[in-house]
Amino acid sequence: MNKVRVFCCVLLALPVLAVAHHSSAMFDKEQVRDEMATVREFQWTNPHVWIQVTLESAAGEQEEWSIEGLGPNSLFRNGWRPNSFKPGEIVQIRFNPMRDGTNAGGFIGAKFADGKTLGNWQ
Amino acid sequence: MLSRTAADALRALIERRGSSTINDPFGMLRIGLMMKTRLISIYLLAASLSGISVQADELPDWSGVWQRFEGNGGIFDPATVEPADGRAGSPGVRQYPPLTRAWEDKYAATLELVAQDRVPDPISICGTPAGYPRMLALPDVYEFIVRPEQTWIITENGPNILRIHTDGTEHPPPEELWPTFTGNSKGRWVGQTLEFTTISMIGEAHTILDRSGLTLSDQATVATRMYLTDEGLLRAELVIEDPLALAEPWHVTRHFRRLPEGTRAYDYACAENNRNPITSSGQTLTLDTDGNVIDKVIDGEVIE
Repeated sequence: MNKVRVFCCVLLALPVLAVAHHSSAMFDKEQVRDEMATVREFQWTNPHVWIQVTLESAAGEQEEWSIEGLGPNSLFRNGWRPNSFKPGEIVQIRFNPMRDGTNAGGFIGAKFADGKTLGNWQ
Repeated sequence: MLSRTAADALRALIERRGSSTINDPFGMLRIGLMMKTRLISIYLLAASLSGISVQADELPDWSGVWQRFEGNGGIFDPATVEPADGRAGSPGVRQYPPLTRAWEDKYAATLELVAQDRVPDPISICGTPAGYPRMLALPDVYEFIVRPEQTWIITENGPNILRIHTDGTEHPPPEELWPTFTGNSKGRWVGQTLEFTTISMIGEAHTILDRSGLTLSDQATVATRMYLTDEGLLRAELVIEDPLALAEPWHVTRHFRRLPEGTRAYDYACAENNRNPITSSGQTLTLDTDGNVIDKVIDGEVIE
């Protein structure tokens, strides 16, 4: 279920952390990871929201990842809510991983069990 | 001053009418109507004497919540950016203000650091505002509060507040000025156009114009005109002069679009949960939920 897929082309044009309060150069925009993840915590905070998720590594181990989103204000105006991600929930999530292999990434989009999506989901 | 004048007028009126009038309810009504007329007259007189050139009902409708219209990731001067779709902070993206040779060399050196992602943005540390004029190119939303005597530009991101005095007062003398992030703005209304000049900005010491690393000196001045276009955009025309950074006046135009009615601005508390501190060399780090650095490479060194 936690199979890692790396997209190469279609999603590259999607804006990632387009209005971040910091540089987004640490994220590899040429890599998109598409994962089934379990939400551990959703930090609805400034200057960025963070989605803490658990992923299964290639070695089959459970790893925690920090997925960084935009600020809560702009996200709220785009339909997000403080409880958009619920602890324990399983979601399909896409993100640009960090270049140096750190377990973190820049949020692109998410699809929930009921079919609803957030972010860029094409 | 106005309230004291009004109080004096009320006291004089009651003294002239005598106490018998106070016991007459219709007399009180007459006094009320007279006072309203007099207060309006006093206000208009005070306004004309104070230098306020416009009445509240003559001001344009800049209500609501706005957003920057131009893209390019906050590049300050979209008219000169290359490549045309380049985003501020991306390697190889720059703009072409009429920089002096010294400032062009400085900008070129900064762009080299941008290519290495080593230009720390002052606002990334969550400690200081963006300042003027950068605050016209920020993400998130804006509010423009207009009053005859003052206009406030409020940016959600930061937040930043630019106070523009339109009460006829002049810029303070040099001994009463010190460099600040938004400087000192004085202006006036010319019809439906707000014209103001901003001086005494802190410049390169603590601000940049965008993430390409472009800066001005603390001797820069900005003349700004703001008005609604026929298309409903709020247009800001800037003429920037800087004896150190610019060889000639730099003309920059930016726009804002009004967001749908009901859109709200919210708190932006940058230090609330900033999990991206910056190293002394300019690298943006990432923290875990306990505040520990989780980067696997810091300043070129692989962390085991």
